[in-house]
Amino acid sequence: MTVVIGFEGSANKIGIGIIRDGEVLSNPRRTYITPPGQGFMPSDTARHHRAVILTVLKEALEQAGLKPADIDCVAYTKGPGMGAPLVTVALVARTVAQLWGKPLLGVNHCIGHIEMGRLITKANNPTVLYVSGGNTQVIAYLERRYRIFGETIDIAVGNCLDRFARVIKISNDPSPGYNIEQMAKKGTRYVQLPYTVKGMDVSFSGILSFIEEAAHKMLASGQCTAEDLCFSLQETVFAMLVETTERAMAHCGSQEVLIVGGVGCNLRLQEMMGVMCKERGAKLFATDERFCIDNGAMIAQAGWEMFRTGQVTELEDSWITQRYRTDEVEVTWRD
Amino acid sequence: MGITSMATAIHPETGKLGFLLDVPFPSAREATIALRSLSPDREPRRGGINKHLSVSESTLSVRWSADEARILRVSVNSFLDHLSLIVETMDLFAPPVDL
Repeated sequence: MTVVIGFEGSANKIGIGIIRDGEVLSNPRRTYITPPGQGFMPSDTARHHRAVILTVLKEALEQAGLKPADIDCVAYTKGPGMGAPLVTVALVARTVAQLWGKPLLGVNHCIGHIEMGRLITKANNPTVLYVSGGNTQVIAYLERRYRIFGETIDIAVGNCLDRFARVIKISNDPSPGYNIEQMAKKGTRYVQLPYTVKGMDVSFSGILSFIEEAAHKMLASGQCTAEDLCFSLQETVFAMLVETTERAMAHCGSQEVLIVGGVGCNLRLQEMMGVMCKERGAKLFATDERFCIDNGAMIAQAGWEMFRTGQVTELEDSWITQRYRTDEVEVTWRD
Repeated sequence: MGITSMATAIHPETGKLGFLLDVPFPSAREATIALRSLSPDREPRRGGINKHLSVSESTLSVRWSADEARILRVSVNSFLDHLSLIVETMDLFAPPVDL
């Protein structure tokens, strides 16, 4: 048996999870929630993580019913993400790895999402749509790499949604995306927005600028409601994501889609992707907020796969990096 | 944990600001763990600041050299945040006996 503890804190969530051979033993998490209209800044987010990380670590061990001696490897997020929060989490991971005499393993955050999605859904070789506040990528596995077939050329889809939420002061609790999703259900009128698919890539900054510019005028004049805007924004950006995912599937001859990342728990996105999959006779795999949204277990799971193929990270090589592309990682654990 | 000595200075020729910090630990083992946890990440800003960490017996020593007081202050503040997190981690999660 191999037990891996995973530390994640690359954005506004801090999570620590423990995995034993594909079984999630514990996965506690805390979220740094800012007031409506405000985003999360790196130094404030790091302060939040510092304040709670040791409590979360205690919970992770207690819920798993394990002692440090039972752990085989300490995995942590090496990147990509915000520098200050990443350092905070890496410091604790490095320190406990040394205190407990365990090997350390730096994990790519995006790979964590993919491997957790594969573990939970049992998808075999899916085309992956990875959508979150910091990343938007269409990925397929080929010859020891998760290759990026399409991606955003500017901001992530989740960033577009989060920043729209700030414009019309939607609550960030539990997350702006969740609240947009609930409001969108009450939207009745579709407001035309730019549709920006560029080949295999997508762009969201223009859509955001458009809606930032138009929102207050349209709301003040009664042209549409905030709910209509939420609905229209979701329909537009999700259609773009479904289109590029479908093209990647056609290219790879894939019959499976896996949606991962925080935006992936949006049920409307899952529904739209499901319609496309049904038309193609393909299968859709998705997970719920426990595993879609950043969490520690996903880092533990990717770490487990890496550790089993003999990978470890020496302390002196354990620096964090804000930029770390999905296709930089050699996938040593798949054929 | 207490900090035993601090010193600031301005280099007479280069005009660079210097800052020294000595942090005592219960033993050389803890001091070395702290050193190895703190060392991997380089200073985020390129140029303008230099930080050197070393351990002698059970004392962790840090030596800064910076062009501007503002950059020095940011680096020292964040170092102290990191250090206190590591010390807290040791207090809560060190095994009762040496491995």
